[in-house]
Amino acid sequence: MFEKLKSRLKDVRSKLDSGIHDAEAHEGPPGSVPAAGKSPAESTGIVDRVKVLIVERELIIREADISDALSELEIVLLENDVAFPVTEEIIANLKKELVGKRRKIGEPVDAVVLSALKKALSIVLGNGFDLISYINTHEHPVKILFTGVNGTGKTTTVAKIGYFLKKNGFSVVIGAGDTFRAGAIEQIDVHAQRIGIKIIQHQQGADPSAVLFDTVQYAAAHNIDVVLADTAGRFHNRTNLMNQLEKIRRVMKPDLIVYVDEAVAGNDAVIRADEFEKTVGADAVVLTKADMDPRGGAAISIAHTIGKPLMFLGTGQGYDDISPFSPDTVIEELFGDGP
Amino acid sequence: MLDKLGSSLKDALKKLAGKTVIDRAAVEELVKDLQRALLQSDVNVKLVMGLSNAIKKRSLDEELPKGVNVREHVLRIVYQELVNLMGDGGAVTLGTQTILMAGLQGSGKTTTTAKLARYFQRKGLRVGVICADTFRPGAYEQISTLCAKINIPCFGGPKETDALKIVRDGLPSMSGLEVVIIDTQGRHALENDLIQEIIDINTISKATHRWLVIDAALGQQASEQARRFHEAIAIDGVIITKMDGTAKGGGALSAVSETKSGIVFIGSGETIDDLERFDPDGFISRLLGMGDLKALVERAEETIASSDIDVNAMMRGKFTLRDMYKQLESLNKMGPLKQIMSMLPLGNMKVPEGVYDVTSTKMNRYRIIMDSMTDAELDDPSLISSSRVQRVALGAGATPEEVRELIKYYKMMKRALKGARSGGGKFDMQRMMKRFSG
Repeated sequence: MFEKLKSRLKDVRSKLDSGIHDAEAHEGPPGSVPAAGKSPAESTGIVDRVKVLIVERELIIREADISDALSELEIVLLENDVAFPVTEEIIANLKKELVGKRRKIGEPVDAVVLSALKKALSIVLGNGFDLISYINTHEHPVKILFTGVNGTGKTTTVAKIGYFLKKNGFSVVIGAGDTFRAGAIEQIDVHAQRIGIKIIQHQQGADPSAVLFDTVQYAAAHNIDVVLADTAGRFHNRTNLMNQLEKIRRVMKPDLIVYVDEAVAGNDAVIRADEFEKTVGADAVVLTKADMDPRGGAAISIAHTIGKPLMFLGTGQGYDDISPFSPDTVIEELFGDGP
Repeated sequence: MLDKLGSSLKDALKKLAGKTVIDRAAVEELVKDLQRALLQSDVNVKLVMGLSNAIKKRSLDEELPKGVNVREHVLRIVYQELVNLMGDGGAVTLGTQTILMAGLQGSGKTTTTAKLARYFQRKGLRVGVICADTFRPGAYEQISTLCAKINIPCFGGPKETDALKIVRDGLPSMSGLEVVIIDTQGRHALENDLIQEIIDINTISKATHRWLVIDAALGQQASEQARRFHEAIAIDGVIITKMDGTAKGGGALSAVSETKSGIVFIGSGETIDDLERFDPDGFISRLLGMGDLKALVERAEETIASSDIDVNAMMRGKFTLRDMYKQLESLNKMGPLKQIMSMLPLGNMKVPEGVYDVTSTKMNRYRIIMDSMTDAELDDPSLISSSRVQRVALGAGATPEEVRELIKYYKMMKRALKGARSGGGKFDMQRMMKRFSG
């Protein structure tokens, strides 16, 4: 994940650098005094630029110096599945950050650009989410509800997180809340058997709220640490299904609602994340199928849209293929000089 | 799909209205709007750039044909270029064939397999399904449950781990059937062993068609995935799934251009009948504000016996309570009203939201009320005076308010269909122009 974005970002960085360097070269000897009548209030006007250059030996970065590189960055982000509105906002932030910035002559341009880019991305990615310390600091059983649209990998994620928690010494029970899709109960049942976790299930077509309520009851009676509640995939524009989810939330009162989406999703990721956040809320996000896509733009889009931390990345078909997400590492990786 | 594009295009085209000379600035603005809309719909960045350059170049360079105004000229170019981008709809034959399903994890292959089986079954063919997904737990249960519902034989082995063996054993058991659909497990381009597996399945099954299933929400990744699948098994058709969400399906366009194939079907719902044939012309007409009449008629013809509903009468604007009764009766077979309405050629016209707000329970109430009406009343609803309302209400065990509500609903439907009357089945450029000026 992110490899592709990383290599393209490098190009843009060097382009931004050269744009600013060119500006330095064009500044020339500060002899020509600009025509009168120019508004002195214009912070990046020629008067100011010259004044700053003479008096303070600093350069001001103008919009024109970086516009080429920024429009290239825009294409790079779009090509990497960062949603359109999110891309626009990142570019705007970056522009705001860079334009009008003063820079000492001789100060490496690289540092200015890099810190601006890093800042823009770290605002978007926010902080990670530490599930284990969350469980440790909350009353047991900790109830976690998984939501998302069809086919994003909720059931597989439930199994993986169950396995992850079990390895970390927690007792876990799974509620088979997908009572709609044919074969869903069998699917989660097989997963649960393989990883050795108790599962609570009803018949296909049963009320998912009832299944999940039973699961919580079971956990309370048996002193289980964590309840993982699977649900059927549903589209955010189906009012009746979203109401059903709302009912599930009322009945089982989850401590955490985890929204599951896939790393390969494009612009729609933003729309549906927003709808889920609005109707049932979301406390954390799991991004699946990250092994399919070296881009990772959806991570940036979703995190930016709903402002909720990314908890895990799903990275393959095995139970171990899940890794906690840490934004700092990602940003370091993106801009590091490693391979 | 791409509905945003529709409205944004209309705005941009409005600016070209009344111009007699091609205005460079206006064309550039139009192209920019088009770019934005296509990018938001997840169409591949390179495709978008190519498309917009072609439109710009042709709009500015090509000479204005006599008797055509600027807007018509540009619109025609946009239309033609969009058709080029989408390719022709992939061919679907109704003969003996083997279809191999391929796609990423969670794109909806299994559900689509069942829908396809149902589609060919409805066309009168004998269909069988082989479940070669040996990896995902519950995959066999899922497809066999779905097949059992529609009485289609399903071959598979929940305990078997070798997909190739299942296909090898399954094919002979399907002899005598006309259409065999092979469902496979999800895989992606970077999993080389799984790509090899599908190459082998393709060789063993000698599949007639290899269709790639693409989630409507798939983003820029679509091109690369499609290319890899295409290299492996020569994809000759693309199916877009989950079109009932808000995703625009632009990723599928990238896949189409990558595989040089066409979109064969669109999946747009969770029930087994929610599968439509894709028709690029009709699709673009819908996109530009013309309904996709062809798809509606196709659907109506196959699900409903001719006596059930008279689409032509409806189209002529002769719409009585009797027609509405038939419509309500067949509605379950046709799918949600909103879906049907979106296929009607209603042009720019806004359909009152209230038309859709009729739940199935209410539909049943309406039918019961109509059962209490006389033939004359059904043919000419204007006869229904307030004393008749009382009588009907008594007969149906309903309140007079409910009867009035039904009549109100009828009038709303009638108004909506009136606008549809003169739409015609063919793509009619002249008419469309008029709609745009509205």
